[in-house]
Amino acid sequence: MRVHSVESLAALDGEGLRYAVFLNGCPLRCIYCHNPDTWNPCAGQEKTPDELFAKIRRCLPYFKAGNGGVTFSGGEPLLQAEGINALAALLRTEHIGYTIDTCGCVPLSAAVRTAVKNADLVICDLKFPEEDSFRLYTGGTLQTVLDFLDYLRRIGQRTWIRTVVVPGINDSTAWLDRYLEVLRPFSVVIEKYQLLGYHTMGAFKYKKLGIPNPLSSCPAMDPQRLQALQEYVDQAIPGQK
Amino acid sequence: MKAWRSFSEGNWCTEIDVRDFIHRNYTPYEGDGAFLCGPTARTERLSGRVQELLRLEQEKGGVLDVDTDRVSSILTYAPGYICKGEDIILGLQTEQPLKRAVNPFAGFRNAEQACKAYGYEIGDDVRREFSYRTTHNTGVFRVYTDTMKKARHAGILTGLPDAYGRGRLIGDYRRLALYGMDFLIRQKEADRRALDERNMDDETIRLLEDVSRQIEFMQALVQMAAEYGCDISRPAENSYEAVQWLYFAYLGGQKEQNGAANSIGRITTFLDIYFERDLKENAITESGIQELLDDLVLKLRLIRHLRTPEYNDLFAGDPVWVTCSEGGMNEDGRTLVTKSSFRMLNTLYNLGPSAEPNITVLWSERLPAAFKKFCARVSIDTDAIQYENDDVMREAYGDDYAIACCVSAMKCGKQMQFFGARCNLPKVLLMALNGGKDEIYATQIAPEGKVFPENVPLRYDEVLEQLKIYLSWMARLYVNTMNVIHFMHDKYAYERLIMGFHDTQVERLMAFGVSGLSVLTDSLSAIRYASVTPVRDERGLITDFRTEGDFPKYGNDDDRADSIAQWITDFFYRELCKTPAYRGAKHTLSVLTITSNVMYGRKTGNTPDGRRAGEPFAPGANPMHGRDCEGALASLNSVAKLKYSCCRDGISNTFSITPGTLGTDDDDRAAKLTAVLDGYFSQGAQHLNVNVLNRQKLIDAMNDPTLYPNLTIRVSGYAVNFNKLSRDKQLEVISRTFHDKL
Repeated sequence: MRVHSVESLAALDGEGLRYAVFLNGCPLRCIYCHNPDTWNPCAGQEKTPDELFAKIRRCLPYFKAGNGGVTFSGGEPLLQAEGINALAALLRTEHIGYTIDTCGCVPLSAAVRTAVKNADLVICDLKFPEEDSFRLYTGGTLQTVLDFLDYLRRIGQRTWIRTVVVPGINDSTAWLDRYLEVLRPFSVVIEKYQLLGYHTMGAFKYKKLGIPNPLSSCPAMDPQRLQALQEYVDQAIPGQK
Repeated sequence: MKAWRSFSEGNWCTEIDVRDFIHRNYTPYEGDGAFLCGPTARTERLSGRVQELLRLEQEKGGVLDVDTDRVSSILTYAPGYICKGEDIILGLQTEQPLKRAVNPFAGFRNAEQACKAYGYEIGDDVRREFSYRTTHNTGVFRVYTDTMKKARHAGILTGLPDAYGRGRLIGDYRRLALYGMDFLIRQKEADRRALDERNMDDETIRLLEDVSRQIEFMQALVQMAAEYGCDISRPAENSYEAVQWLYFAYLGGQKEQNGAANSIGRITTFLDIYFERDLKENAITESGIQELLDDLVLKLRLIRHLRTPEYNDLFAGDPVWVTCSEGGMNEDGRTLVTKSSFRMLNTLYNLGPSAEPNITVLWSERLPAAFKKFCARVSIDTDAIQYENDDVMREAYGDDYAIACCVSAMKCGKQMQFFGARCNLPKVLLMALNGGKDEIYATQIAPEGKVFPENVPLRYDEVLEQLKIYLSWMARLYVNTMNVIHFMHDKYAYERLIMGFHDTQVERLMAFGVSGLSVLTDSLSAIRYASVTPVRDERGLITDFRTEGDFPKYGNDDDRADSIAQWITDFFYRELCKTPAYRGAKHTLSVLTITSNVMYGRKTGNTPDGRRAGEPFAPGANPMHGRDCEGALASLNSVAKLKYSCCRDGISNTFSITPGTLGTDDDDRAAKLTAVLDGYFSQGAQHLNVNVLNRQKLIDAMNDPTLYPNLTIRVSGYAVNFNKLSRDKQLEVISRTFHDKL
């Protein structure tokens, strides 16, 4: 597997204490991406599932105490669904569950279906709510994500949805109404809808990689404004857990 | 007897056995903190006065006032009060709050310099008296060998207690409350008589004199209490007296001694028995109990000793280490958490966060869930408490031990320790590469040995062979130096009262320490896994290295590096044990630097791991700043690999995490912090300091101290008020790894 990095304490990406594995390669080029160093599928380090498993199982005592497990993130982890499935087989021997943190913009190959089906939880982005804006800001196709979400609905997979809110682009209730509309058909599997504020902590990576940063003059999202928007969506989906 | 009414009787009634008393009478508490009370109006007034005094002390450069005309002892000063009529728990070290006493028994010059540093002069009477007296410091320097002096001067052995009180003792102050002084003195007299038939060898004579000195000071304490209107010759009869008696016992020790880290022990479960009895008798309310503990804690926050600037370099922030151990489990499976464990933690809310007393939670996987959660919340809210692993310490020390200083466990009243600071491990490596010469002064300190050639990469096996030779040499010198120090301390600055609250046949530990463990580990890892070529300076000494290639670093849960750290502690401990310790003491080892990691770094040249000369070491057993790059749990796992069996004096780890990384809200953060502690300690790790804060907050506080006047942070086994740290120590704390998400 091509691994960008690991983070042994990623308490935010799922439930309990998470061991996050960031995998290289991404089908999208989101305008606000804070991890452009994960785009290149050939970058990072090659690690076998066994090597990763050896590291992960060292965190078993923390998983047990805090209902935690592994989170595959990236990049887009499902580009390496075969690797995830191989590692998942090892994780099962220790009863360690995993979460997939995905953009959802991946075709539903057999390997992807297996990886998604065996996950404890899928955290899926809904980056933009219509084809035009989706293509403009991410370079991808919304329909692929909708197909992915529909698959989650059909298999009854526990799902959290995330949207990055960027000042001046989608930071309004009018935008959020459109997101909520898109999510409505899948609401039966959606446990949470989390808004994440755009931040500028990834800006240095663009400089380092020599990639132009399209949002170089965009400020970070104001936490209070974000909080207000989060409350707005929380009210719209009262059934959230 | 009225004092013991309604207590369950047992062995404790006929001999001194506080543990037996606790175990027969305490009430474990599994609930949450909902019953707790806030401060009373009186507490708020007195606390306000204390805040004001602390502000004045800070404004005056750290010392409010010094009584330079008298020598501190139990009966030197008339009674003192924060605010007469408002104090509930009585007793101050001197006649005024925060007025410091002069205590030259451990070293006159040290006391003189401490006075001078704050613009005071020692009075003529004191000077005259000490011109006829031998101090501990004088005694030590009469005996120190040339090698000991050189090792000390070069900073290979540093922070030795040879000019101030050795400290790190915990008298079992609960004994005074339970038994009263008459009973305790009678017991000491019986112990004395039991020695009568022995042959009068060195140790017997010394012990007889010790016990006589103890009795003399126990009698003095009765008089001191009488001056405050209290009769401590008899046992405490109610909640107030139990707290007051216990505090008098501790206070007397602080008047007599200026040792670092003479801690208060494990007191709340004991006191809780009195509180519960008074509650049953309707003699006290919950608010009244909290007020007693709040008032005790206010007094404990005022304990001060007069220190030199050099001392502050080692132990920054003017700490006293009134370490107070909470929680833990009973050997019979019940928890030792009581409502009063909660009440003690609650003082941090009622009186505001503070470094003292140094509240230490004895963590067990089996602690009640509600208590774990409460502790985690206190950490998140105050950054003022630390955690130590009851499950490993109970195995070594039983279930009535307490922590002295930062991480040093000992059985209450049954063990004492000879504190021994630490030796600088990276300097031993540099000495091994330079054939026994110090890399800074170029003096030959250790015996001559192999000199490594220039421009040839170091070979790991050759370095290791030399390092072992010098570590063995170091260990023997270290034990012998400590033997000299503690012989003289017993002779000239014996802790008469504090030792009176110990068993006569006390078990002695001699506590050695190491600093720079992560620097030495990474340096050896670099030599083994990368290519390290030594570079000589114009004096022909190896003072720099060309390190090429990558190497595994301690702090990433990588056995290649972590096993080196394990080997170092294990090897050094075994070497220490080869030289007998004074008075039959048992050798122990700690990986703890307090804040001296900055000063040790300053005295150490370039190291093969890439650390530049003068740069601070990581504190305690922490990985080097920023080298732990696989996240917090991997870092914790590396430290957890160090074995407590060879580091029985403690393995200190300081952990800083930003609130945003730990969780989404306070409940979530508390749950996750609890999981981190459970996971870490279940692997046999010993200690964790927890800070939940943002680096930016520290930077802001450094630039404008008025922003957060009470900002308390954990540094290395203790907490400090951040504003009391010198700028270089503030910078070092800021440069430490903060586990943070991106």
